Amino acid sequence: MWINMGPQHPMTHGLWNLRVRIDGELILDVDPEMGYLHRGIEKISEDRHYNEIITLMDRTCYVAGMAWETLFVLGAEQALHVTPPERAEWIRVLSEEIQRLGSHIMWYAAFVQDLGLMSPFLYGMRDRDLLLDLLQSYTGARMTYEYNRVGGVRNDLPSGFTDRARKVCDWLEDRFREYDALCLGSAIFHKRCDGLGVLKAADCVRLGVTGPMLRSAGVKRDLRKDRPYSAYDRVDFDVAVAEGGDVTGRYLVRMEEMRQSVRIVRQALDWLDRNPGPCLAENLPRWLGAPYAPVGREGYLLRRNYPKGLGFSAIEEPHGEALAYVVNEGVEHPYRVKLKSPIFVNLSAAKEYLVGYRVADIPPIMGSVDICVGEVDR
Amino acid sequence: MTGLTLYGVANGLIQYLLTHLYGVLPHPYFAFLVNGAVVTGLSVLVFAAILLGASMINTIMLIWFERKLLGRFMDRRGAMHVGYAGLLQNFADGLKLFRKHTYKPHDADALGFYVAPTAYLVSSLLIFAILPASTGWGAGALPLSLLLALVVFSFAPLFIFLSAWSQANKYSLIGGMRSAAQMIAYEVPILLAVVAVVIVSGSFDLTTIVTMQQNYWYWIPLLLALVVFVTGMLAEMERIPFDLPEAEAELVEGWNTEYGGMLFAFFMLSDYLRALIGSFLVVLLFFGGWTMPGWVPGPLTSFPLEGLFWFLVKTYAVFGVFVWIRASLPRVRTDQLLRIGWMRMVPLALLSIVLAVGLVLIRCLPLLGCLPSLGG
Repeated sequence: MWINMGPQHPMTHGLWNLRVRIDGELILDVDPEMGYLHRGIEKISEDRHYNEIITLMDRTCYVAGMAWETLFVLGAEQALHVTPPERAEWIRVLSEEIQRLGSHIMWYAAFVQDLGLMSPFLYGMRDRDLLLDLLQSYTGARMTYEYNRVGGVRNDLPSGFTDRARKVCDWLEDRFREYDALCLGSAIFHKRCDGLGVLKAADCVRLGVTGPMLRSAGVKRDLRKDRPYSAYDRVDFDVAVAEGGDVTGRYLVRMEEMRQSVRIVRQALDWLDRNPGPCLAENLPRWLGAPYAPVGREGYLLRRNYPKGLGFSAIEEPHGEALAYVVNEGVEHPYRVKLKSPIFVNLSAAKEYLVGYRVADIPPIMGSVDICVGEVDR
Repeated sequence: MTGLTLYGVANGLIQYLLTHLYGVLPHPYFAFLVNGAVVTGLSVLVFAAILLGASMINTIMLIWFERKLLGRFMDRRGAMHVGYAGLLQNFADGLKLFRKHTYKPHDADALGFYVAPTAYLVSSLLIFAILPASTGWGAGALPLSLLLALVVFSFAPLFIFLSAWSQANKYSLIGGMRSAAQMIAYEVPILLAVVAVVIVSGSFDLTTIVTMQQNYWYWIPLLLALVVFVTGMLAEMERIPFDLPEAEAELVEGWNTEYGGMLFAFFMLSDYLRALIGSFLVVLLFFGGWTMPGWVPGPLTSFPLEGLFWFLVKTYAVFGVFVWIRASLPRVRTDQLLRIGWMRMVPLALLSIVLAVGLVLIRCLPLLGCLPSLGG
């Protein structure tokens, strides 16, 4: 019997459809169907100024907008031959780690909800609010920030921010213990999650699965370490790795990543406290340097004779490795923007880690993949 | 307190009303008003109405209690806006559901679709007439009231499966099958745990079981049976960690996926009625029902309706534990659930029967005292 789990179904966490063929409670076959949320972000990008594309990138993934902004901006900077000031790089690291914490806590909340745990869901949402407050205090928005700029970031941190952020870090480190107590401390959690949804390291590599799923299989790969961008080569942190490649492993990896993120946030805060300076590159072309891209005739008159370039960026997004390819043909909007979504790949491999388990296992397994359909469909 | 029963009150009320009515209309034509059968029939109706109202209000308060308690467990406040501290929120919700259009899917079987929720609700309400909430609150001296209550309680899988099948929905069908399997699996340990209580008390009558706990409550010697019974009740009530039949993460709403409006309210209400019944049974069987131990100071146990008061306090405390469990445990999987049921709960329940037999043979326990002799 085929049943549709989606596109409107509590398991999906977004708008996609998992078709499942079952025999009683046993899963015989699955067929993930994506594309319900396709908004043509890549195509729209070809007709927009670089700084206008950033608003689209926020909407690529609604729980990790900052990461996707950073991804695009890194690619665009390379294509446009712009170098951001060092302070902007550190602010990007800070923003991205706060975003990673927010995204992982959101994952935690959704994942425990899939397991039937109700309280930790609320705890997660409560703690995520603190991170959103932090982001709001310097970007002005809670989800769609539009904060990065080609050549830096829009504005500097407000006064008193670093102290507030440190307080949040302290609070979170306490809460992580609580999270673990509620999950790892429960025998039912282990009964449900140990050895579930196993995807071995070789299969991960073969299928291109990245991020916490890959690391949970014991492969120590993190683009922040292996291909450092922004200021990640200057921060000290450990790559979270677990064994087994099962749901518990993914849980452990993400929890450890959150701890490491707090560590990185602290380092970035210290650096930002010590080193004031500009956070947006100077001498940018006017159509880049303006806070909002010029519109109308004037904007088009300003392009001409800008050097062409190709930009490729790869970042460790909260869900996995996100890649962007930006082609600059010398005009104020890119010729082509290509984004590679990690979740699209992780989701496409669903057959490998779902078949053979039970219907009741689908929510925790898919929850452990951490789906954000916005970026799957782009 | 012994002379005053709920039925007596209802009977007196009806008799008073009808006699006065007949006094106003002293025509022989109206002589049927003081006919014994009419008085009895109307008294039973009033008795049933009072019981219905009491159980409904209790259930709605139970939902409020759960929402508030769950809110506190989750670091929030729960319902706050309708009435003081959200007391009337559930009435508002009920009214909203009542006003909603009841939609039947085109392919659903009308008979099962409409009859099942109604039967589920009625069968759940029926148990309240059997359970004595305090002395004089039952329908009368039923020598097998415990057995009758459990029999009616176990009608549920039939109705759930009926509704699940009639909805013509795959999620419902899976949920219904899970529910039937789960309830049948957990009925066995529940009954066995009850057998332990029955062996010790020597009676199937709930009133007798309560009076037999005058020296000590049964949860102390029969802790094992209590654990089995509570676990089984959690499964019967379909609450976390055993709420698989309506596991919303994978089966949308499980067996009541297609229901909306009042029919959904029937299911929701019945679930809480059953939760209330489960808590009642735990209190009656293991926590001394409406009695309090002798060391409780006199003023606390000698005021009007004190039995009912303490009974409800204990019930809500037991339900609070259920809410606590719900707030802190993930749900198990169907096969694990069935395995726990058949492989763990049944042997534990059998062991508790052995312990109960041992208790009856010894008769007296150190520190606790002796079992009262039957009828004493």
